[in-house]
Amino acid sequence: METNIQTPGKGAYTGSSKNALDASERLNKQIFIEEQKSIFKNIWVPVCHESELPEPYDFRTSSIGNDNVLICRAPDGKINALLNVCPHRAMLIERRPRGSFLEGQASGNPKRITCMFHAWQFDMRGNCVYVAREKEGYQDRFCKDDAGLRRLRCSVNFGGFVWVNMNDQPVATLEEWVGDAFLSLEGHINSTPLEVVHYRKEFIDTGLKARLLKMSDSVGAHSKQSLFNFGHFMTEDSKPGADTNEKKNSFPTPNAMQSIRVNLFPGFSFHLDGPTLNVSTVTPVNGNRLMIEHKSLAPQGERETERNTRSQFYNANFGPFRAMEQHETKAEKQNEEKKQALANHLLHEWSRWMDEHPDGESRLSELATRRSKNAILDKDEDLIGPKVVVIGASHAGIAFADRLRKNGFTGKIAVFDRQVGGPMERPPLSKGFLLGGGETVESKSLLRQKKWYKTNKVRLNTQTSVQAIDTERKTVTVNNGDMVNYDMLVIACGAIPRELPATVGMGNSFTLRQPADANAIRQAANNADSVIIIGGGYIGLEVAASLRKKGIAVTVIEAASRILARVASQPLADHLVQLHRDNGVTVLTDIGVDKINKEDGRFDSVILSNGEKIKADMLITGIGVFPDSKLASDAGIETQRADGGAILVDDMMRTSDGDVYAIGDVAIRRDQALAVESVHNAQETASIAAAAITKTDAPTIQTPWFWSDQYDTKLQSVGIVPVQDEEVYQVVRPSKRDHGISFWSYKGSELVAVEVVNDPATYMEARQCLDTNRSPDPNQISSLSYSPIDSGGGRSQ
Amino acid sequence: MTNESQANIEKSIEKIIYQAALALDDHNWDGWFELCDTDFSYSIMSFSPEINKNMTYFSGNKKELKGLMDMLPKHNTDHSPLHRHTSVYTVDVADDGKTADAVSSVTIYQNMLDGINSHIDSGESRLFVIGKYIDKFKITDGTPKFISRETKIDNRRLDKGSHWPL
Repeated sequence: METNIQTPGKGAYTGSSKNALDASERLNKQIFIEEQKSIFKNIWVPVCHESELPEPYDFRTSSIGNDNVLICRAPDGKINALLNVCPHRAMLIERRPRGSFLEGQASGNPKRITCMFHAWQFDMRGNCVYVAREKEGYQDRFCKDDAGLRRLRCSVNFGGFVWVNMNDQPVATLEEWVGDAFLSLEGHINSTPLEVVHYRKEFIDTGLKARLLKMSDSVGAHSKQSLFNFGHFMTEDSKPGADTNEKKNSFPTPNAMQSIRVNLFPGFSFHLDGPTLNVSTVTPVNGNRLMIEHKSLAPQGERETERNTRSQFYNANFGPFRAMEQHETKAEKQNEEKKQALANHLLHEWSRWMDEHPDGESRLSELATRRSKNAILDKDEDLIGPKVVVIGASHAGIAFADRLRKNGFTGKIAVFDRQVGGPMERPPLSKGFLLGGGETVESKSLLRQKKWYKTNKVRLNTQTSVQAIDTERKTVTVNNGDMVNYDMLVIACGAIPRELPATVGMGNSFTLRQPADANAIRQAANNADSVIIIGGGYIGLEVAASLRKKGIAVTVIEAASRILARVASQPLADHLVQLHRDNGVTVLTDIGVDKINKEDGRFDSVILSNGEKIKADMLITGIGVFPDSKLASDAGIETQRADGGAILVDDMMRTSDGDVYAIGDVAIRRDQALAVESVHNAQETASIAAAAITKTDAPTIQTPWFWSDQYDTKLQSVGIVPVQDEEVYQVVRPSKRDHGISFWSYKGSELVAVEVVNDPATYMEARQCLDTNRSPDPNQISSLSYSPIDSGGGRSQ
Repeated sequence: MTNESQANIEKSIEKIIYQAALALDDHNWDGWFELCDTDFSYSIMSFSPEINKNMTYFSGNKKELKGLMDMLPKHNTDHSPLHRHTSVYTVDVADDGKTADAVSSVTIYQNMLDGINSHIDSGESRLFVIGKYIDKFKITDGTPKFISRETKIDNRRLDKGSHWPL
């Protein structure tokens, strides 16, 4: 009798109320979810044996936690593990338990992994080799090189088993994780190539923790028991008359008599018993149900008589129809001391992963530490200096990365964005993009061409959303579970369009912010004759102009007394209303929407506050945005309100956490009264943050500017019109250009903003005035013979 | 062999297959053994598409089966009764009338008695196993006896307590 505890826990598993197993716990769905996330996403799982996919293009499917896994053999013989989910629309790709991609299928070409949803195809390494309508559908925004099945960490070892870890940066390599647990077994199972000869599964109604506890019952009184790191254990039984040092008594001979059992946490058992190697794996199905898969392996190519001998031994001792002794008989033989030691060992490990360890030990902390050493950003080996992570490939996010490099930053920059394809400019989305200008418009709308990211060593991670920020550990967690460390974090998430509650989930009802929104509107507009736009802001008016150009009847409904009530002067608003009416748009102001009707789940009509009903084929809501600040507020970073609002920043765009910056639409300075959502604001705040991080001179602050295209009219404005200030008045200045006009806003004799229609030269003059603090004479500005630049007037600071 | 005697043998074989089902349903092991020849062998087989292999889940001769049945009181078994629904598909009698083969469909239901919570589970009937009986018979004086039965099941999921002959 021997107990060899190599890595004992610091304290006995006490069964405190926090850790004790009780009836309610077994049914606890939350524990199941946590186990999936904390344990199964991070451990090495033996998903199959290499003999189950003997030929190139053979595959096997499995699952780890909630993830579907595809294991396939490449033409070069290498076994790869891939996430069995198409990156296009997250469809499960391969549904068979086993097969071969060598032959073509009804929905797939030979030698290709094909998603039956949209026929995207992948090779045996997961590279995307075909995207249906790639050029027509995506132009330059996306190409198949950007796609690909997620490759999982995969290793073939310890008797030819295929091991997969869902975590790209696991807490340990496979060899480290297994440690010495396989030492007694390895020589036997590596001595000859094996194949799986028996397979079955069973379901048992218990939870994972309860099963761990139950495992401790299985150790016999005469077993040698060894405990290893990571919750693994090994037992070895001596059989009467067996000398396991003798080859004739050792596996793989059919007369083998030894019994060695290696159990890897949380329930992967490798049991060499007599002439058979029996492997069982655990897969939790829900909080109170486990699937146990049993496999038996034997040497490849052995004689039938030898195979039969093993088969009979297996069926008699491990098969589903074996005779099972009553547990009570065996239980009497248990050694309570060893049993308790094993129970402590297993439950301590479970607690480490679940962050419930009585001594505070945590595998997840180890994981974070390891990741901080091997973070994704470290792939840019030639870069030195701090690591900057940017959340959001928005105007602000990309402008920040650009400015950071231009300021001489030599560290690592990683940008995470949830969108598909390269980051695009937002302004064209409500303009030319909706008209379907094809490849040219979309290509020109890219914020940066692909080459830029490579040249500037900016690691762009699209389709990757950040799930959480940990400001203490200085990490962000992305949607594949990876944690990425940072020295400085920049939040550039932008804003989210407001929706009316009645339109949520309604067909043919849209908001506009992202390229996908614009695409959806464009497609719907192809089959629409009429549209209602709720909101007379710039987005609503630009969309109105674009759709009107397509010949669609457009009604704009604005609840305020005039359009652009928050952002433009009255004269400009009047000018634009007339422009839209001249182009056939119905503009309704000072009227609310009482009800939005749907039919068969799709938008049908609106009922106005005056009782009038207006039907249309589609509805677009443009009633403003709110800052996408949830990540920040969840992380304890100060926002305008406890429940959200913009992220509060200082003059250097620093948030309440000194290593976290916020820029663009998601941020607001503490002394700033009004949020400004514009490209200028994105660029300026990006430059300020970049200067702060690189400790270079702060950029010259420009007067805010803005532009809008509606029909053939170009509006350019500089300065912010204080629309609520009753002392502010406008002076109209005619233009030398056709259809040109400008509106100069003054407070007293001080120029505060200028709005220019179809007159770029006047816009430049106005901008120069405001940037240099000049205030042309308001009494003369309406005269074309008066030059605002030469006026020499000063502005108060 | 006349057509009439062949028809009689076929009827006898159908009858013995149904008798065997009833005996097994009733745990009447002795009654079942009486229907089997002394050289009787029994196996449970399955094909696994998962590993692309034919598998033997159980095999034994009459003596081994009897030993297994005698051990039943010591087994940690599920006491839920099984109910076999059998349809004889084909009976092929040899020309000399001394042997015959038969293929039957079998569907086995489990009427729950034991369970994690028998208070809730007991009384419910669940589909347990589907498959085929592939039987061979020895015929002596027009009376058939089983000389082998291969129970070829489609299930690869087999939970606890399913270790007696199906």
